[in-house]
Amino acid sequence: MIRFEHVSKSYGGTLVLDDLSFEIAPGQLAVLIGPSGCGKTTTLKTINRLIETDKGDIYVNGRSIARLNKVELRCSIGYVIQQIGLFPHMTVEQNICVVPKLLKYSKERCQKITHEMLELVKMPYEEYAHKYPNQLSGGQQQRIGVLRALAASPPIVLMDEPFGALDPMTRLVLQEEVRRLQQKLNKTIVFVTHDMDEALTMADTVIFMEKGRIVQMASPDEMLRNPASDLICSFMGKRSLNNQHLPQTVADIMRDKVVTVTKDHGVRASVELMSRKNIDTLILTNADGSYAGVVSVDRIKRSGKGYKTVEPLMNRGYPFSYEDEDGQVAFDKLIDGGVNYVVVLRRDRTVAGIVTKTSMARSMAEAVWGNGE
Amino acid sequence: MTDFLEIYGRQIAQAAGTHLYYVLLSVAIAFAVSLTLGILLSRAPRWANIILPLLSLFQTVPGIVFIGLLFLAIGIVPATIIIALAIYAIFPILKNTYVGIIEVDESYREAAKGCGMSALQALIRVELPLALPAIISGLRMSLVYTVSWAVLAAMIGLGGLGDLIFAGISSNNNALILAGALPAALMAILCSLGIDLLRGILIPRPLRRDVL
Amino acid sequence: MSWSMVMEHLFMVLLAVLFTIALGVPLGVCAYCFKPLRRVVLWSVEILQTIPAMALLGIIMVFLGAGKATVVIGLLLYALMPVVQNTCLGLTEVDPGVREVARGMGMMRFYRLLHVEMPIAIPYIFTGIRIAVVISVGVAVFATFVGGGGIGRAIYQAIRVHDVPTIISSTFTLMLMAIGLDTVMALAEKRLYSRFSPAEK
Ligand SMILES: Nc1ncnc2c1ncn2[C@@H]1O[C@H](COP(=O)(O)OP(=O)(O)OP(=O)(O)O)[C@@H](O)[C@H]1O
Ligand SMILES: [Mg+2]
Repeated sequence: MIRFEHVSKSYGGTLVLDDLSFEIAPGQLAVLIGPSGCGKTTTLKTINRLIETDKGDIYVNGRSIARLNKVELRCSIGYVIQQIGLFPHMTVEQNICVVPKLLKYSKERCQKITHEMLELVKMPYEEYAHKYPNQLSGGQQQRIGVLRALAASPPIVLMDEPFGALDPMTRLVLQEEVRRLQQKLNKTIVFVTHDMDEALTMADTVIFMEKGRIVQMASPDEMLRNPASDLICSFMGKRSLNNQHLPQTVADIMRDKVVTVTKDHGVRASVELMSRKNIDTLILTNADGSYAGVVSVDRIKRSGKGYKTVEPLMNRGYPFSYEDEDGQVAFDKLIDGGVNYVVVLRRDRTVAGIVTKTSMARSMAEAVWGNGE
Repeated sequence: MTDFLEIYGRQIAQAAGTHLYYVLLSVAIAFAVSLTLGILLSRAPRWANIILPLLSLFQTVPGIVFIGLLFLAIGIVPATIIIALAIYAIFPILKNTYVGIIEVDESYREAAKGCGMSALQALIRVELPLALPAIISGLRMSLVYTVSWAVLAAMIGLGGLGDLIFAGISSNNNALILAGALPAALMAILCSLGIDLLRGILIPRPLRRDVL
Repeated sequence: MSWSMVMEHLFMVLLAVLFTIALGVPLGVCAYCFKPLRRVVLWSVEILQTIPAMALLGIIMVFLGAGKATVVIGLLLYALMPVVQNTCLGLTEVDPGVREVARGMGMMRFYRLLHVEMPIAIPYIFTGIRIAVVISVGVAVFATFVGGGGIGRAIYQAIRVHDVPTIISSTFTLMLMAIGLDTVMALAEKRLYSRFSPAEK
């Protein structure tokens, strides 16, 4: 439907669009997103030739727009801007009919269009058609802004941060509405935003731009799963399943503050320590600091009589994993082994920490909702 | 009072007619010229930055100077006063037209373009309607000034209500002064009210904005 | 054109502007303070400015006779509008929040007017006065027709004797006077600010 082929644009020597090539399929809602100044608006405006490109071609419906009549092109592409831009001297009806009138539709047809359009967003004709924009709320105004873009049923609609000036609630409602209209009327929409939430909820395809280039073009799912750069990660923040917080190795999901004692520790002292720390097992190390095994308070109670040190009571076969192993290894041992924790060792066999169900849940939660900082 | 009207009635009516003729004709000319110029200037803001300050400087030149100079150049013909008044009346309308158009918010211009309007369509359907309040207040200023300066037509023997005022002053006849001054005042006020009326008709409610 | 004509002109203008300020600012404050009065006051001063200057001078002359008094009164009435309007506008421009806070702090009406609303209105009032000055310089040209003299007399005489250079030079003098007075006012305004709000520099 819309195809960019090696499109470049520069302003006074600075490259604003840098060799852009991409294609948006018919009936898709593509969202352009990226940091401020990355060229989203410029990209959008090249499509209806509000901005002319320096190099490259843009095809709409297979035809190069450079060879189309500007006015015809714009009449066949709806355009919604952030400032809403409803003409204040025109009523709602007149605003909606701007393009139909330019196309010299008959009066009856214009009126019919207004009826249909207002119907789409459930604003009764009788109540709203003859109001002026300043008599409407911000959300209603932008609804009319969208209707104005749709009035001449253009196959393509461009929207530049259309909801940027609206409060979050109204925004959500309008996102929903635009998505519904787009599917109902089967429009191809190019939508600019710098709100990742908006992009992910609305888009079929997200196009992430940075410094006039496309960093990644993917479905929201794909982008969430495999963000192509750190910048995209930070844009997605906690939503990403794959950012730096994502637990990958055992070290990511363990807790590192654990109580260890040497295996020649006294039995009584060990029990005291466990009760003081409110824990039921101790991790034991050899004299050189390497891991030896664990001892549980139960074991001491059952058969601890007569021993001076905990060494004879030590369980050497307790599950452990290495800190650089895949987190899943520890997870499996924890769940399948029916134990309360898994000991985590460094490669030199010193103790790094333990993985408990709580530590695992916490690191997962951080990955999903952020670490609450 | 009836005496007064009997003596001066005809004279007042005639003078007022001449006066109004001068005013309306010159303002009409000025309106056409300055609207055109204002629109042209708004397409070339670079020129406007030179021309507009010059214009506001010119506006401090009293009307009497234009009338005087043209009188010396052309002589005692109605064209003298009409051209002089028209020149003077151009400034406020021109300035307001230009500023009115230039101050139209960029977003409306972009919306108009994005809707597929040509430059001319955008001008006629969006820019001029949005500039209309400014243009009309410029028109009011011009009209009121012109009624005022047209009094000086009498100074070069071209009639109008000034005739009565000047005659009254030189003959120390208070009644005659009032016979010229009161209708002139009335005419100015009526012109101003007329503009209010026009404003009410032409400008949609949401664009009407009272400062106080 | 002689030096005395220029001084005459300047004298009439300055005197009239002084009166305009003395009358216009209180009138603007009144219009602001008493809502029912506002419309009447603003409408009246607007009407006064609508009346052709020569007609206004003529009407005043009927009562006061020919002379400078007529001119000064005429200029005063004519230049009233910008001062009254801007005073009133400036006062209404005070942020409603600020006004609310001032009231909440228990400031009395008059105290509030003086210490909260006036300081904010002063730039507007200054603008009004500057407009009044420029208007007065121009309108004072009519003085010659009601026995007030001034630069208008030089122009009128020059027109009668076909003396174009004098017309031009008189016009330049007028423009210079308008620009000069305006500049002086602008400087005075700056001075005033730097004295009252040193922090804002
Ligand atoms: N008319 C212009 N002249 C010069 N530079 C421009 C012009 N228009 C845009 N730019 C520059 O081009 C770059 C891209 O601008 P653009 O408006 O496309 O950014 P954007 O991605 O829409 O940003 P935002 O999110 O802030 O709207 C910016 O660096 C901007 O400064
Ligand atoms: Mg942008």
